[in-house]
Amino acid sequence: MQNSKKNKDKILFFYLPLTLMISFTVFPIYWTLMTALKSEGDILKRPLEYVPLAPTLENFVMAWNNVGFATYFKNSLIVGVSTVLIVVVLSTLSGYALSRYKFKGKRSFLLMLLCTQFIPRSMMIIPLFVIFKNLGLISNPLSLIITYAAIEIPFTTVLMNGFISNVPRELEEAAMMDGCNRLQAIRFVVFPLLLPGIVATAVFTFIYTWNEFLIALMLTNQQSKFTLPVGLSYMMGEFNVNYGALAAGSIIALIPAVILFSYAQKHLVNGMGGAVKG
Amino acid sequence: MHVQGDVDLPVKNPSKTKKMKKRKMEKWIPYLFILPSFLIIVSFLFYPIGTVFYYSLQYYDISAPYYNKFAGLDHFKRIFTEDDLFLPSLFNSFKWVVSQVGLQLILGMILALLLNQTFKFRGFVRAVAFIPWAISGVLASVMWSLMYNEHMGVINDLLMRMGIISTPQAWLSDTTTAFIGVVIAEVWRGIPFFAITLLAALQSIPEELYEAARVDGAGRWKSYIHITLPQLKNTIVLTTLLRTIWEFNNVDLLFNLTGGGPAHSTTTLTMYIAEQAVHGSNFGYGSALTVVTFGILFLFAIIYLKASRFEREGD
Amino acid sequence: MYKHVSRSFMAISMAATLFLAGCSDETATAPKTPKGTKDEPVTITFWDENAGPQRTPIWEELIKRFEDKHPNIDVEYVGLPKDSAKKKMDAAIASDDMPDLASVQTSWLPEFSIREALLPLDDYLEKSDLKDKINEGAVKFNKDIVQDNKLYGIPYTQNLDILWVRPDWFKEAGVKVPEIWEEFFTAAEKMTDKSKNRYGYTIRGGAGGSFQLQRLMFAYSGLEDYIDESGKSTINDPKHVEFVEKYLALYKNFTPQSDITNGYKEMIAGFDTGAVAMVQHNIGSFGEHSEALAADQFQAIPLPKTEEGNSVAEGGNTIGISIFKTTKNPEAAWEFASFLNSAESQSYWNQQVGQIPTNSDVLNEQWIQESPHIQIAFEVYNDPNTVLYKPPFYLPDYRTILDNQVDAGTQAVMSGKSTVKEFLDEWAEAMEKSEKQYNEHFKK
Repeated sequence: MQNSKKNKDKILFFYLPLTLMISFTVFPIYWTLMTALKSEGDILKRPLEYVPLAPTLENFVMAWNNVGFATYFKNSLIVGVSTVLIVVVLSTLSGYALSRYKFKGKRSFLLMLLCTQFIPRSMMIIPLFVIFKNLGLISNPLSLIITYAAIEIPFTTVLMNGFISNVPRELEEAAMMDGCNRLQAIRFVVFPLLLPGIVATAVFTFIYTWNEFLIALMLTNQQSKFTLPVGLSYMMGEFNVNYGALAAGSIIALIPAVILFSYAQKHLVNGMGGAVKG
Repeated sequence: MHVQGDVDLPVKNPSKTKKMKKRKMEKWIPYLFILPSFLIIVSFLFYPIGTVFYYSLQYYDISAPYYNKFAGLDHFKRIFTEDDLFLPSLFNSFKWVVSQVGLQLILGMILALLLNQTFKFRGFVRAVAFIPWAISGVLASVMWSLMYNEHMGVINDLLMRMGIISTPQAWLSDTTTAFIGVVIAEVWRGIPFFAITLLAALQSIPEELYEAARVDGAGRWKSYIHITLPQLKNTIVLTTLLRTIWEFNNVDLLFNLTGGGPAHSTTTLTMYIAEQAVHGSNFGYGSALTVVTFGILFLFAIIYLKASRFEREGD
Repeated sequence: MYKHVSRSFMAISMAATLFLAGCSDETATAPKTPKGTKDEPVTITFWDENAGPQRTPIWEELIKRFEDKHPNIDVEYVGLPKDSAKKKMDAAIASDDMPDLASVQTSWLPEFSIREALLPLDDYLEKSDLKDKINEGAVKFNKDIVQDNKLYGIPYTQNLDILWVRPDWFKEAGVKVPEIWEEFFTAAEKMTDKSKNRYGYTIRGGAGGSFQLQRLMFAYSGLEDYIDESGKSTINDPKHVEFVEKYLALYKNFTPQSDITNGYKEMIAGFDTGAVAMVQHNIGSFGEHSEALAADQFQAIPLPKTEEGNSVAEGGNTIGISIFKTTKNPEAAWEFASFLNSAESQSYWNQQVGQIPTNSDVLNEQWIQESPHIQIAFEVYNDPNTVLYKPPFYLPDYRTILDNQVDAGTQAVMSGKSTVKEFLDEWAEAMEKSEKQYNEHFKK
């Protein structure tokens, strides 16, 4: 009797809402995948096919081959990984300063970080272009790496601040008593404990760089240096609407992120706990 | 990298003067640590932000440079007295941000509570639940415009099969459903952000607190109100603040799904800025609008942080 | 002014920037010495303003052919997504970092030339084999629309707005394919069968809709001026009011409800999924329809004729090759520009895309004779009675008014928030205001 009530409860308050939420999450992705597996004629055909009757990989082949997708994929990886490295190092340092020290100007620094987020990116494009033109870095991945890092650091600094606050100060002090200098203490004691937080920061940053379109387009004047979102935008222009290839391109672009999530979800969850406890 | 050399302090320092020196150096350490971040932000973001403030006082149209001249406060006068679209789009921004942040927070919270239970394949389900977060605004709008389409959209097809509607609906073409339609798509993308952060925070709540509550006979709801929510407060304050700023400036889905229409009914302030500056190349007026936005967000951030007493400088 | 201030801003930010990124590649910015002689290897950059899986491979093939012929010239192709191409060129001009040459829409020429971004090509064309071969009307049009009446773009392709219809449905219903406007409106009504989810027509109410609406308005009225001598715009001419009232009244009655926010892809999807009997676009979307529909399911017909029996087309519906003033290699750039406009290249490009070449040597080729939609375009353009009206491309906010104000205005009418008269009055007023400002500045 009691058991069946408990079961009912579990179904009503757990399985049912979980199923609903997950279906809501998964359905658009499922639909995109199914669209990618249909030929253009089948996509537009009615009644709709929920599972393609004649599945085809032609869209994937087309997306991958046609306009240099492989190159964009590689460029995106280069930009993404480099940005992640810079952001992780710099925001660890500044997050450390914020969480471990009292110093003059701390509040202003925090406020400055927030203020950088108030301006729509589209308003900053031309001045950014002028800066990098003067530096001779147009079409150089470095211009994207630097810009992305500058844009991401405010947020990741606040994140890292939270993570570091979560690592007991005593551990570090103990290490310094044992003769480590501060950087060594950070390197050997704080860093390992911070790993989950660093994974979270890295994932945040990587996903941002992976998806950013406008800056990537505007700061690059060479076809061979474009990143993935620029490549995807080719499939959306007038005369060029190809839902199947677009869907296939989207799925391909998603793959690294999915791999990243399945690998990082454990760290990510543990890591974020630190960040937001403050 | 150059920071490393500067702070490489001697490992052992027996003499007293050196100790004094070390203490003095310690004072500078936080500045050294924030220096690289500070420099990269100042060098690369301050100039672009500065130009926005500068051009807000200029007539500056990149497609008609021959009209460019000093404008004084003309743009601001126009914004507050003549512009029929400023207030409606500010109101749309408000609606957008409140519905986005509110719904994402509530649904993200529910998802986090669910994913915090133990069940089979939890790791897999978590990874799946987080995926929408990794999808860019542009891709998300492609996915949803495909689904919302009046003629070939799967949403109409599903609802018709279920007998909820009898003819295909044009979800993005009616002033009310268009807004709701875009809100749903963006909420879909935003839930994981809250789910992840809240889930993480949930895990750091000591189990003992709940046990104590259970002994006192508190039910599920009561312990949620009295234990979970207070423990999550800082997380909620931080994430909602960040999300508010982001959603305010987020135009991808609105732009791609409705283009701000029908008849500007879904145009937010940030979209309006893009319309003026980027598509209309009127950077002067767009900059002035941006400055106003900046002021609004600045005030909001300060009031919000004060009111929520977040991270008071007590440490 | 802009340069001055940016410099002082730059000084501050540069100092920090250089310090931080100290690895800038000095050699990359070093000015190259002008080259043009045959043997020295040069690289020129070419920007395509509508890149994508359909068009990019065509350019790549042409570049390959060109490089085989000119081993010393290396052409670097940069494909811009259509929606952002103008933005990207704007930024390039504003920051003085332009490509050597680009595919440029004719409507951008006045603006780019006033901004002193382009190289006049009159002399080059005069001395070249292409002289007298490129469509005279199109070349003249390009000269007429710019301030100094010079030639800034060599048109390589021409397009025409038409109606795509479902001949199979028309036959089935026994309705005549429309030739005049009255028939168009009747057809839209008769071809609508809501029980079958079929609509007679689809309106592009969203992004880009204003350009199509304008073409239909003039096709109905047959007016030639957009803005007359006195600075008055014809946009709110009674004939236009009459047309737009009839046209937008189709909405929801004989067109899908989603039309109000339709962009290009939604509009085309309506036709290609078999929900709509007629759609207005141009001959360039042939490729899209042929992928989704069988050959007997779609057909191009000219826009209906005016009461006087004339066809109307918008002038300047071409895309051309422009050379940018900053090029270090004008000779090599011209070499490539003239190669792209040669009979062989134009034939290849236009056949692949399904548009009209402008080089007279191509016009007799087999494929042109065999494609009905191009034949229709020819008939319209070659008809001496065809009216070519000229939109005020020279107004710097011409596109902005259409994109921002007119699209929203159309939607306001469609959703019943304003009347056609109000909408067209505001549109006309915006154009007149812009015209006045322009005249004050340039005719002082």
